[in-house]
Amino acid sequence: MELTLPRSHLAAALLAVVAIVVSLAFVGDGIGTSVERTVTVFLISLTAIAAIGLYSGNSGILSFGHLAFMAIGAYVAALLTLPAPIKGATLPALPDWFATIELGLLPATVIAMAVTMMLATAVGLAIWRLEGSAATIATLALLIIMHGVLIGWRDVTRGAQTFFGVPRETTIWVAAGGALVALVVARLYRDSASGLRLRAGRENAIAAAAVGVNVPRERFIAFVLSAGLTALSGALIAHFLGAFSPKKFYFTDTFFLLAMLIVGGMTTVTGAISGAVVVTLVTEVLRRLENGFDLGFVAIPQIFGTTQIGIALLILIALVRRPDGLVGLKEWEERLIPARRAALTPKPLSPAKAEALSARNITKRFGGLVATNDVSLTIKPGEILGLIGPNGSGKTTLLNLLSGVLKPDSGSVTRGALDLLGLPPHQIVDAGIARTYQNIRLFPTLSVYQNVQVAALSSKGGGDADARTAGALDWLGLRAAAEAAAGTLSYGDQRRVEIARALVCQPSLIFLDEPAAGMNREETDALMAILRKLNAELGIGILLVDHDLALINALCQRIVVLNEGQKIAEGAPDVVRNDPAVIEAYLGAADHEAP
Amino acid sequence: MNRLLIVTTALGLAAGAAQADELKLGLATAQTGGLAPYDSPVVAGIRIAVDEINAAGGIGGATPIVLIERDVRSDTAQTVIAAQELVDAGAEAIVLPCDADPAIAAASIVSAAEIPAISTCASSPTLPLIGGDYVFANFPGDNVQATVSASWAFDQGMRRAFILYSPDSQYTTMPRYFADVMTALGGEVLGEATYNIGQPDFSVVATQIAAMIPAPDVVMTSAYEPDFPTFLRSLRAAGYKGQVIGSDGIDSPTTFGLGELAEGVVFTTAGHPTEGSPLEAFNALYAAKIGSASETVFNAVGYDLVKVLEAAVLAAGSTEPQALRDAIANLENVQGATSLITYKGTDGMPIRQVSIIRITGGARELIGQPAPDTALIPAPRMQ
Repeated sequence: MELTLPRSHLAAALLAVVAIVVSLAFVGDGIGTSVERTVTVFLISLTAIAAIGLYSGNSGILSFGHLAFMAIGAYVAALLTLPAPIKGATLPALPDWFATIELGLLPATVIAMAVTMMLATAVGLAIWRLEGSAATIATLALLIIMHGVLIGWRDVTRGAQTFFGVPRETTIWVAAGGALVALVVARLYRDSASGLRLRAGRENAIAAAAVGVNVPRERFIAFVLSAGLTALSGALIAHFLGAFSPKKFYFTDTFFLLAMLIVGGMTTVTGAISGAVVVTLVTEVLRRLENGFDLGFVAIPQIFGTTQIGIALLILIALVRRPDGLVGLKEWEERLIPARRAALTPKPLSPAKAEALSARNITKRFGGLVATNDVSLTIKPGEILGLIGPNGSGKTTLLNLLSGVLKPDSGSVTRGALDLLGLPPHQIVDAGIARTYQNIRLFPTLSVYQNVQVAALSSKGGGDADARTAGALDWLGLRAAAEAAAGTLSYGDQRRVEIARALVCQPSLIFLDEPAAGMNREETDALMAILRKLNAELGIGILLVDHDLALINALCQRIVVLNEGQKIAEGAPDVVRNDPAVIEAYLGAADHEAP
Repeated sequence: MNRLLIVTTALGLAAGAAQADELKLGLATAQTGGLAPYDSPVVAGIRIAVDEINAAGGIGGATPIVLIERDVRSDTAQTVIAAQELVDAGAEAIVLPCDADPAIAAASIVSAAEIPAISTCASSPTLPLIGGDYVFANFPGDNVQATVSASWAFDQGMRRAFILYSPDSQYTTMPRYFADVMTALGGEVLGEATYNIGQPDFSVVATQIAAMIPAPDVVMTSAYEPDFPTFLRSLRAAGYKGQVIGSDGIDSPTTFGLGELAEGVVFTTAGHPTEGSPLEAFNALYAAKIGSASETVFNAVGYDLVKVLEAAVLAAGSTEPQALRDAIANLENVQGATSLITYKGTDGMPIRQVSIIRITGGARELIGQPAPDTALIPAPRMQ
């Protein structure tokens, strides 16, 4: 599995995780008694939170349904470890071969995780195309359905009644082991290629698809992996309690765990640990104060419910003051340790092979509005084509139609023998087409380096990703700013990151949607120089949409003019400049540099 | 000689003083969360009993009761932790919540520590069986309640029964015990139907019952609100006019608020304050201490829990947990506010009087407080 973070960070992160978990276990083991049990429950909760965070944090989709997987893990593992006499007495309807099975905790847990992951595969395939709140509601449905199944399948689960007799084998060290596994896997996943791609998809799904990320597939992987780890926590809690029923895996515990996750910060493993620690500490302190205490001059009476009120206040304060969670969006080592990436010779981005892009009779309607009306155009290999027109003429729509973001109602878009309309959005980039956007679509919380890196990993099979990333950053002069979070850069710099991201995919054709917007004269000139160089040295074709006619005239070999969704002119810049239809279209439009 | 006398007397007095230790009673109950409505009234009754006993100097005038309380927040894991904490704090007896999950989970803790535990109000006869020798219940068992109501129905001449039960929880399977007793007595169960707790519509089963020929003499269910009112409404609307028998689950203001609809409904419960009864005395004590009337028999149930412990300490002559456990298991005819209580000869499920109440004119009418025929009581059923 390829990892995308510097070695220094990885080592520090994993060491810290091991240190925290092991020292907690030592302390709990040393003190013993109820403190040991509290720490055990804490470690099991931490396992669950790390698992849920692996999916929800990286994908941005809040999952209410993961306790369904905890339930499967608990029941399957418990069914396998339950002593045969109890199984016979309480579950008489089980088939004989099953009733006699009696496994140890480890094999039972592994089998439970495998079963859960198989089920998660089925569920994941069903919901993988859902976005945002639709996906969250689907997970809610999963929780409710699982609860109903557990209650209804009495022969196997004892229905709503207590499932008891489970051997209480979860010691503090067993729980620590589970927590370690979950935290390490969560951390490694977050910084794997798949995790980085998923995070890019979380930040901006459309841009991620445009650089080759198959967002639904990455979501699916995270979903199944997190389901397996949640099942691990389920097996652990089952063998700690010894007795449980379906209501343990329903709304109350879901909110409790999600609260810990959200308070700490959903997107990082540091956040998961912090949230669990803070909520548990506050709970334990309040629990002891709840019984009333004597300050000497005044006796505070017993107030039950202090704990709940305290936790609720904590959540409110945390969300008001720090909506991204106490820890925020970065792992602790990303804040404290400067990133040292292995120095690389940047790979020269190879000249692109190219074929003409041919769009024929493209039409697109939005309800009654015909946004694109029977437009045909050809982009020859290696040419710089300008696309201009008044506001609302359909330039961006046409760009979206050509780059796979929208599908036309009729017409064709081909490149040589390849029919681009048949490709899903994330495969457009491997057809040699990359693009930027009118409203910058970066991955704001990822660093500049990671923005480009994710594109490198997702295109051209992901080969030589680091070398290509370094090369693209050099091209746009961004090496110095590489570790800054992309969202913190100036507008002009963000544009350059977007172009670097498009460039690293080694396209033969780049679509640029108003790249000079918001730039001053100097920046525009610098941009022009870069684009000329790309075209001249690498042979990359460019489709340029902009309102800056000086830029267009200086750069483009040919220009296409749109008005009200239709192509009204096409040709060399001088020809188009003097075309009466073009002049008429622009007459009355405010504030354009006159041709 | 004088010196010897003085020394031995002093030693004797010291030994006597050392006998006056205290009973540490740990409460691992739900003060907040979903179980609080069941545990809180019981704990209120416990506190009243403890105050009353301590005011007289303690159990037997010498052993005050010290309460150590923990809120388990209606959570099973918390109950386990709380039980362990109470054990560590030196509790000599522990009170567990009114629900099977936490009680069974904590059972392993108390069994390992060899400390007796009593559930506030769980009534499933399987609880002490699953929990082991150290777990006791504090409420008439579901099988006992069903025996009392079935015996009464049979004695009234009702021979044909229909039961409505839900497999969703132990408590709501009580009608199956009713069916067992009815059959054993020589009656006939014409049919049975199941429901899901919380289902919004009972018209199907109501129509089924109303259409039966011959009609059942009695329909029995242990459904509680909101299912019971919904069911009753459907049943009467469908045209069934026969006897409806419920259980202690409907002993609540909601049922009495149903007005005409609930007229004639009979249910079993833990006690009824007849004139001059201990329950009447308890209600007066409660009103005096709290300032408002007791709204539920579960206050008295909590009071009785402490009375049981008091009797056990007196019988054992000490507060040592093992001795306490054995004493509880051998208690016979302890006078509680709700009834006489006997543990001797049982597996942890006490024999307590069950009161049969009929709703007449919107008020309680006591029909009887019979002692059930132990031979008739069905064995606890796991499923």
